[in-house]
Amino acid sequence: MIVIVGSRHDAVAAGLLETWPDASLCSAQDLTQPGWSWALPRTHADPRWVVDGRVVADAQVSGVFVRRSTVYPEELLATHPDDRNYLAAEAHAFLMFVLATTRAQVCNPVFDGAYGDEALQPERWAPVAQRLGIAVAPIRLASGRAAPPPGRSVLVEAVGDQAFGAGSPRQHHGARSLMQGLGLVSASLAFDGRGRLLTISGTRPPANRDALALLGSVLSGATP
Amino acid sequence: MILVWGPADDPPTQRVLEILRDRQRPVLHVDEPTLDTLRYDVTLGIAAEGWLEVLGQRVPLATLSGVYLRPGEARSTAARSASAALLGVTASVAATVVNRPAAGRSNGSKPYQARLMTNAGLAVPDLLVTTDPQKARAFVAEHRKVVYKSISGVRSIVSLLDAERPSDMARLEAVAHGPVQLQRWVAGRDVRVHVVGSRCFATAIDSDATDYRYAARQGSDVTLTTTDIPSTLADQLVSLTAQLGLLVSGIDLLLTPDGRWFILEVNPSPGFTFYEEATAQPIGEAIVDLLLEDRQASISSASAKPEPV
Repeated sequence: MIVIVGSRHDAVAAGLLETWPDASLCSAQDLTQPGWSWALPRTHADPRWVVDGRVVADAQVSGVFVRRSTVYPEELLATHPDDRNYLAAEAHAFLMFVLATTRAQVCNPVFDGAYGDEALQPERWAPVAQRLGIAVAPIRLASGRAAPPPGRSVLVEAVGDQAFGAGSPRQHHGARSLMQGLGLVSASLAFDGRGRLLTISGTRPPANRDALALLGSVLSGATP
Repeated sequence: MILVWGPADDPPTQRVLEILRDRQRPVLHVDEPTLDTLRYDVTLGIAAEGWLEVLGQRVPLATLSGVYLRPGEARSTAARSASAALLGVTASVAATVVNRPAAGRSNGSKPYQARLMTNAGLAVPDLLVTTDPQKARAFVAEHRKVVYKSISGVRSIVSLLDAERPSDMARLEAVAHGPVQLQRWVAGRDVRVHVVGSRCFATAIDSDATDYRYAARQGSDVTLTTTDIPSTLADQLVSLTAQLGLLVSGIDLLLTPDGRWFILEVNPSPGFTFYEEATAQPIGEAIVDLLLEDRQASISSASAKPEPV
């Protein structure tokens, strides 16, 4: 089974459920349902998820696609409004532990106490990109100055050691090197018009059909 | 120039400012009121460049050699924008930063942090995070006494659940409403170790309260005394602190009557003054020594790859 960690209101997650036949959604509400059980040391328990309202053994989960970077209080509609902030913080912290502990392939792994795109901040990838000879677009922040409109960008999608989509061979090579350097399973890399790396997202599934199929294969355990 | 970012009424921030002023070092202090008026023009890349301006004092980032960070909550829109910019700067400025923002995130999930501590070779009391009342009851029945506390960084008072008390076992039904962390209670003496670079300052805490931080509220006394820890343990704690990307940490430990050490939590922004005032250990001085060290601290943590599962 592939578990998609996301929201019930997320159209992209819904699209993945249609594309990958063995995928199920683990929503914020699922994180507060009875049935979860995760221990440390891991050997002391039989870890269990709650996915789409059902209790699922971790051994049944082959891969996890993470579509979120936090759990929002507004998602916990079944919880009393006074308790939502606290419970959302607890569910977020718990999800971090689950994603770091599961034996399943997680796209993308927890890093430095963050998951989703929160784990892909520039201070993590920019030094690696520099070491690999990939130019990085600087970010300018100035008080009283509006952010400039986004310019033209080129998106390169990467799954494991393969790169897809637009972009030069040099950018494809850079994307593959960065995937390895950062230990990522799948990511979308945006380059600006001067070929400099702007952002990396790990929560956006590939738009390229071949890349999406490859990612589904990796997360279902069919492709190592 | 040392940048100190923290509320003026925060004791650790006050102490660091006091020591820096005693040593006559130039300081740029940013707190909630000055955040509202902070001006900046910074470029975040491999290393942050540009300038900050507080109350008319403009400071090029290139002149910052150290940063001490204990930001409070930014309330106004202007303060939140300035806070976001400052977090970006402190994440990548080429200076000694105590501590870089991302380095403290592991403390936002106690079981995740416990996993990192276990991987570093330290003993952590068994824990279970569950929404299953049956599993919770079995865990408490197995360990007899169990500590309950928040999973996240939200501050909570540690409380004890006892298998001998039917009311405690009945309370476990409530775990069905959301994840709860239960951890085996270990009898022993609380020890707080502040790691500052490669130096350790250990304080033993004697109190009848389950959570000594709230001893007075629970009608108990608390006594803090300087103590020693084994050098091998000190090495492990210094190494763990570095692995988490921290330069300074406050580590909660437990020493059992038979001499075993358990680690409970690593605090990335410790309120060290509580311990310093009681024991006269020069923790603040050591932090300032670190901030004034003539070096360019590494901007990124050692590895950009996740830990192996």
